[in-house]
Amino acid sequence: MSCSHLSTAWSSSALASSASTTRRRSPPRSGLLVRCSLRELRTRIDSVRNTQKITEAMKLVAAAKVRRAQEAVVSSRPFSEALVEVLYNMNQEIQTEDIDLPLTRTRPVKKVALVVLTGERGLCGSFNNNVLKKAETRIDELKQLGLQYTVVSVGKKGNAYFQRRPYIPLERDLEVSSVPTVKDSQAICDLVYSLFVSEEVDKVELLYSKFVSLVRSDPIIQTLLPMSPKGEICDVNGVCVDATEDELFRLTTKEGKLTVEREKVKIETQPFSPVVQFEQDPVQILDALLPLYLNSQILRALQESLASELAARMSAMSSATDNAIELRKNLSIAYNRQRQAKITGEILEIVAGADALAG
Amino acid sequence: MKLNLYVLTPKRIIWDCEVKEIILSTNSGQIGVLPNHAPINTAVDMGPLRIRLLNDQWLTAVLWSGFARIVNNEIIILGNDAELGSDIDPEEAQQALEIAEANLSKAEGTKELVEAKLALRRARIRVEAVNWIPPSN
Repeated sequence: MSCSHLSTAWSSSALASSASTTRRRSPPRSGLLVRCSLRELRTRIDSVRNTQKITEAMKLVAAAKVRRAQEAVVSSRPFSEALVEVLYNMNQEIQTEDIDLPLTRTRPVKKVALVVLTGERGLCGSFNNNVLKKAETRIDELKQLGLQYTVVSVGKKGNAYFQRRPYIPLERDLEVSSVPTVKDSQAICDLVYSLFVSEEVDKVELLYSKFVSLVRSDPIIQTLLPMSPKGEICDVNGVCVDATEDELFRLTTKEGKLTVEREKVKIETQPFSPVVQFEQDPVQILDALLPLYLNSQILRALQESLASELAARMSAMSSATDNAIELRKNLSIAYNRQRQAKITGEILEIVAGADALAG
Repeated sequence: MKLNLYVLTPKRIIWDCEVKEIILSTNSGQIGVLPNHAPINTAVDMGPLRIRLLNDQWLTAVLWSGFARIVNNEIIILGNDAELGSDIDPEEAQQALEIAEANLSKAEGTKELVEAKLALRRARIRVEAVNWIPPSN
């Protein structure tokens, strides 16, 4: 008699437990209140963990690439330095002569070409959006000034953006390799050169992200053409920076944290140089020299843009990783709370059954 | 006497060593540079750069237009790109030459023709750089 009652009680408890396990509830409706089955919670936690691993890996890859981008800038410095020095000396030697060069010819501006550098991929915060917003702002300014304009887009994100906006005249859309090469900058250089020399446009401006620090990069606009014979770098407001000052960003570890130091290096120009013969006409020599300078400016912009993109991606993936960690913690708490509640319920049922049996 | 030779491109330093003599293609023809050469500025044309080392060995590099400055036994060559002959793969260069020749025969229109001729010239220079036999002395 006693044995028979016990068997009945266990069977009843098992049925109740099974019903509880398979019951489905509605998805969560408020912030931290999570209502779903334990299995779903478990799946969600695993999914978040996988995402965290991916974002963390992307963050580390971006950090490595920033360092490599820095090396690219450093390795191109000897060329820039030598070019500036040669350009400086050339101008000293031919100062008295009246030189007319196609790239330095200043005309009344009626049409402007805007070269916009964007990234090839996303997942880098607002990097691409910032550049495109700046481009839109500049386009509005040109409209207000009553100037015509055309856009040369470089990078997949910019290409996609401008192709969806037929009202913006797009001269060309170019794609570059994931690491800037001389071939890429040469393609852009050839395009703007032919636009300017054929007088299709009267001014060429370059819009790109200037790498300021790991957490900040500013879209800036720099006038490419017409260029100053002395090789000065001018922004759109006519403020010129002496080309002998070369800014260099360096990724360092200060007190265990990644920081960026940006130092100005004054390129020394020799005070006295001997009288130099010209194998060809000075105009012809400068014709050969200025395109080199234009190309190196564009390459530098491409490198800075890439460094900015990678730094932005590093920040974005770092934030995503932190969010994933926090979310996983919250989900784990909810999971454990539910699991504890379930166990408590089962224990209560067992105790109640035992009491009923004893009574 | 020696010459300090620097060949610089935006990507990297191609050459940075002392040499005995160089032969350079300029816009107005090839020039040879020996120690105590007169100071000179010149535009560099597309073509080979012959380098005579201190041990009298000859090397060939390929330049794709640029600028050269020779002052005080120091030669600075700036170009958008340059290649050492030892870095060029002979078979690849030969194939590129054949492809360029085929493209030239198929080119239509002025623009394509100009581009095809330029590519052919470039490929030919690279092949010559690989196959060049230095003078024996």
